[in-house]
Amino acid sequence: MLLKIVKDWVGRSNKVERIWLLAKIEFKLRYYENKLGLLWALLKPVLDICIYYVVFKIIMKSDVPAFASYLFIGLILWNFFVESTTGSIQILNTKKYLYEYSNMNKLEIYISQLMSNSIGLFFNFVMFLIFYNFFEASSNGLSRYNVWIVILYLNLYILSLGMALILSNIYIIAKDITQIWQVITSFLFFLSPIFYSVRVFKEALPTFEYGNPIAGIIINARRIMMEHKAPDYELLGWDIMYAVFILLVGLIALNKLGSKAAEKL
Amino acid sequence: MAEKIIALAAKNISKTFTISEDSHNTVKHRLFNLFNPPRKKRIEALKMTSIEINQGECVGLLGRNGCGKSTLVKVLAGVYPADTGYMKISGTTMLMNLGVGMSHELTARENIYVSGSVLGLKIKQVDAIFDEIIDFAEVREFVDTKIKFFSSGMVARLSFSIAVKAGADIMFLDEIFAVGDMKFQEKAVKVFESSWIAGKTVVLVSHSMDVISRYCSRTGFMKNGEMKFFGDTQTAIKMYLEDNH
Repeated sequence: MLLKIVKDWVGRSNKVERIWLLAKIEFKLRYYENKLGLLWALLKPVLDICIYYVVFKIIMKSDVPAFASYLFIGLILWNFFVESTTGSIQILNTKKYLYEYSNMNKLEIYISQLMSNSIGLFFNFVMFLIFYNFFEASSNGLSRYNVWIVILYLNLYILSLGMALILSNIYIIAKDITQIWQVITSFLFFLSPIFYSVRVFKEALPTFEYGNPIAGIIINARRIMMEHKAPDYELLGWDIMYAVFILLVGLIALNKLGSKAAEKL
Repeated sequence: MAEKIIALAAKNISKTFTISEDSHNTVKHRLFNLFNPPRKKRIEALKMTSIEINQGECVGLLGRNGCGKSTLVKVLAGVYPADTGYMKISGTTMLMNLGVGMSHELTARENIYVSGSVLGLKIKQVDAIFDEIIDFAEVREFVDTKIKFFSSGMVARLSFSIAVKAGADIMFLDEIFAVGDMKFQEKAVKVFESSWIAGKTVVLVSHSMDVISRYCSRTGFMKNGEMKFFGDTQTAIKMYLEDNH
């Protein structure tokens, strides 16, 4: 019954097609413009990992096992969050041509932008799987807990969508949210256990993994992908609550401020 | 006479733009000037206006530059939110101002698909009209060229063609006959004579009284943000001509 309603709606409306079309074009714009093309999407996390590996493993002698993979999974999730938030602050300005001559729903623009980022995340995740399973010496291989990644991805998607909505709508009334957000992201970056071990992180900042919505997602991703454990359900619950709350605030912001985008930007 | 179906009804809509003279659009400025708000200028672009447009009707809008025509059209199309009043729109809307919006970073082909999709077409429907659009716009050799490399005339022709072939239930056409060279303008006017607007609801903003008197059954005359008259086309044209002298 419900399936039929959804199918009917998809059949009649062109929304799904439109979101996917916009996402594909956005992805193409981002990568195919460069000489190296899609290779950049793959090269970026590898280069990041090399830098952090040199700094934290070789210079600072970090004791985290399988450190390259540990960085890998943390960084690709983090990069998705940053690309989806920082990269979307000016979206109502750059994508103005989409909504200024028709009554198209602006939310679709955001969804397609994040879909485009998701394509990149997907490629990176496949790379992670290959690296972890074939190149990582102390790899534990695959496990049934891996499927939890779908839930974590949805959690991350909702969180990023909410944040993108909030930021880009604040941008309409105060342009310097761009700079402020840069500071906040670097703060969040160093306060997420991306290159520290979770133990060090928890000792130094007890309960902070509950305060930083992105930290929990990264911690749980490592549990299910590398440690073969079920996710920390309490942490997961908190993170989903954060994400839904932020999305609600974002939708309110879009409703209140977003309608003025055409005339203010 | 068959009962008229109303495609668009707006009651007591108005729009005022607030423009700050020294723009405080940064957080820092706002913080330091919390108790010292910037001087604001209010521009009443559109004063209380009510309008009802029937389905399938072609309505004209006349008035001198800056009289609020474009603002009215943008509010009616749902691009700007109205400050007061309420509106009821039944169907998809399209605002055509020279053409429809396009991204300069995309190729002609991509723009056709994106715009077509935004206007409510399915990919298959765009496939079907793709060649017509390209031929009408006369850009066949440049289908896969980014439109930032197009001449402004080519961009205008392309966006006009997309709008014409894609269409929408209610179309707001704001000075669309200023597109392209003479040959293309002739083609553009001919579109009106074809079945393009048949059955569609059209609001036409133009300074060409010839076009207005030929196609519009009712016409509004605007002055200083107010709808001075809405009704018989010839009367509106007469008022417009008097205003110009």
